[in-house]
Amino acid sequence: MSASSNDANAENGEMLIDATPIPLLRSIQAHGRVWEDLAAQYGVTNPDPPWKITLEATCDLLAGDSCVKPYDQVEPGSCALPSLERRAEEDELSATLYEDVPFPERQLLALAHSMIARGLLDEAELASRMEVVGQRFNSA
Amino acid sequence: MSDHHDHDHDHGHKPAPMVDEVSHFEILEMAVRELAIEKGLFTAEDHRTWVEYVHTLGPTPAARLVAKAWLDPEYKKLCEADGVEASKAVGVNWGTSPPTQFGTPSDYCNLRVLVDTPTVKHVVVCSLCSCYPRPILGQSPEWYRTPNYRRRLVRWPRQVLTEFGLQLPSEVTIRVADSNQKTRYIVMPVRPEGTEGWTEDQLTEIVTRDCLIGVAVPKPGITTNVKLPVRKAIHPVHHDH
Repeated sequence: MSASSNDANAENGEMLIDATPIPLLRSIQAHGRVWEDLAAQYGVTNPDPPWKITLEATCDLLAGDSCVKPYDQVEPGSCALPSLERRAEEDELSATLYEDVPFPERQLLALAHSMIARGLLDEAELASRMEVVGQRFNSA
Repeated sequence: MSDHHDHDHDHGHKPAPMVDEVSHFEILEMAVRELAIEKGLFTAEDHRTWVEYVHTLGPTPAARLVAKAWLDPEYKKLCEADGVEASKAVGVNWGTSPPTQFGTPSDYCNLRVLVDTPTVKHVVVCSLCSCYPRPILGQSPEWYRTPNYRRRLVRWPRQVLTEFGLQLPSEVTIRVADSNQKTRYIVMPVRPEGTEGWTEDQLTEIVTRDCLIGVAVPKPGITTNVKLPVRKAIHPVHHDH
């Protein structure tokens, strides 16, 4: 998305991202157990889930060098998901669709939402992969 | 060893509790990551290297920088003049940190050390997103990322600091430093009374993450950060980037 279109969107009060609910992510939002509940149940004191840093790494690597360049100097297509756009979309989605989800779970949902909305991921493909990963994780 | 080994007796230690359950969120994180790697958006090796690097980060280097500066006036001058150079003394090299070595220099940027005085208090924000000096301060707290903090701090810094429990006299000027992609900040608070004769290690312990962001001041005996309820912003979020 270009800077000018974002400016126009902001002035018009429009969302920067398509916030149409994505069924797969809605289902996770509804049925997923968040870390603060799991930690309380199991008596774990770590305030963050173990996947928080791997999530941060995914966000950073998708952003390439856009984190350290002024926005107007980020070459279109130079990275998969510019950091400023991802953060702006996360802010919007956190205030709307995923408002009731704590952090960092909502950061994860927002990232997946941004990636699906941009065509970086396909919802059905992601659902299928989650099935495979879930079976693997629970096969011990 | 005896053949009989029951577990009625105390081994003297217990394993730390762990979450014995896989959540949908954990599965989602892995699935997103695996697909991104398969699609060539980044490599597994880069991801592993980055995660290993991030695991090494925390607020201790920044706290030690402040403690050293409190004890060494020449080092304090260096901190003010060149934060990147001063960081090397606490083991942080902004120019060669791992991100720059594999093509993701997301933390390579300028560092400025904002030195408080008895009449000037600095506090840091990133009003645009959540830029943070991770190589020297670790991961940002949740409240730092919220539009609520980012918007209100620049408008009502004194009141927002009060919400953190930091009441400043009216004669103290508050300066808000707004981070960006290239320049990030840490605050060097005034050394508190009651720390005369303390070692660098002792001083390092009381320079908390919150002190380094500027929402707290160090006090002898206080080594933890504030736990703040996270509030949402009332108005819709719009970025004009």
